[in-house]
Amino acid sequence: MDAIAISRTGLDVEWRRMEIIALNLANMNSGPAADGTSFQPLTLLSGPAGSFGAVLDGQQPPAGVRAYGVQPSGAGMRRVYEPGHPQADANGYVSYPNVSHASEMALMVKTARAYEANLVALAAAQQIYSSALQIGKQA
Amino acid sequence: MSALDPVAVLGLSDGPAQIMRLGLPALPTPATGHTSFESVLSAGLDRVNDKVAHADELVRQFALDDSVPVHQVTIALEEARLSIELATQVRTRLVETYRELMNMQL
Repeated sequence: MDAIAISRTGLDVEWRRMEIIALNLANMNSGPAADGTSFQPLTLLSGPAGSFGAVLDGQQPPAGVRAYGVQPSGAGMRRVYEPGHPQADANGYVSYPNVSHASEMALMVKTARAYEANLVALAAAQQIYSSALQIGKQA
Repeated sequence: MSALDPVAVLGLSDGPAQIMRLGLPALPTPATGHTSFESVLSAGLDRVNDKVAHADELVRQFALDDSVPVHQVTIALEEARLSIELATQVRTRLVETYRELMNMQL
């Protein structure tokens, strides 16, 4: 796998992470669905594609990064007292997902910066490739 | 030099061998003998064609449904452009060399 392909895997993973952050922020004030289940804040798990040990031993070329999957962040629910709300339970509480606004925003900035870093690495790899094509060019 | 003994215990004392071990595996050596220049050239052109077709397919998908991440489309286009550039470079060198041989004074 060359540098361009590795940078592409990085871009893919950051893109997915951004989607999950957008999903969490969009569902920040979602009440329970019709079947009673509530939205759970999610986190994206990512890690090196291929075994780190195998790459380090030189048995396998580096293969970039990949998303392992999405799992609930375990933040639980935020219960708000709204007796007049149609979705309120017997005690007058409505359950909302406990999305942490601040940490989602911080993660979003981090994700955007990581995406940019991958773009810069990609541009550098492409520029190196282009300049290698100039070797021995006539005039 | 008893202070350096722990390093020897870790097996890191034979420096160059360890550094070599971190390197990437050697590139697979191309099969020698039967591959003619023509087949190498046409295989390369096939790969260029595959990349262009892949980029074309991604652009089509993106136009129909923009759930395809846009960077995949632009990277595929850029890879196709670079491989075409490589192919034209090969062609230019080939034609140049041919001309040079044809103009050789005997």
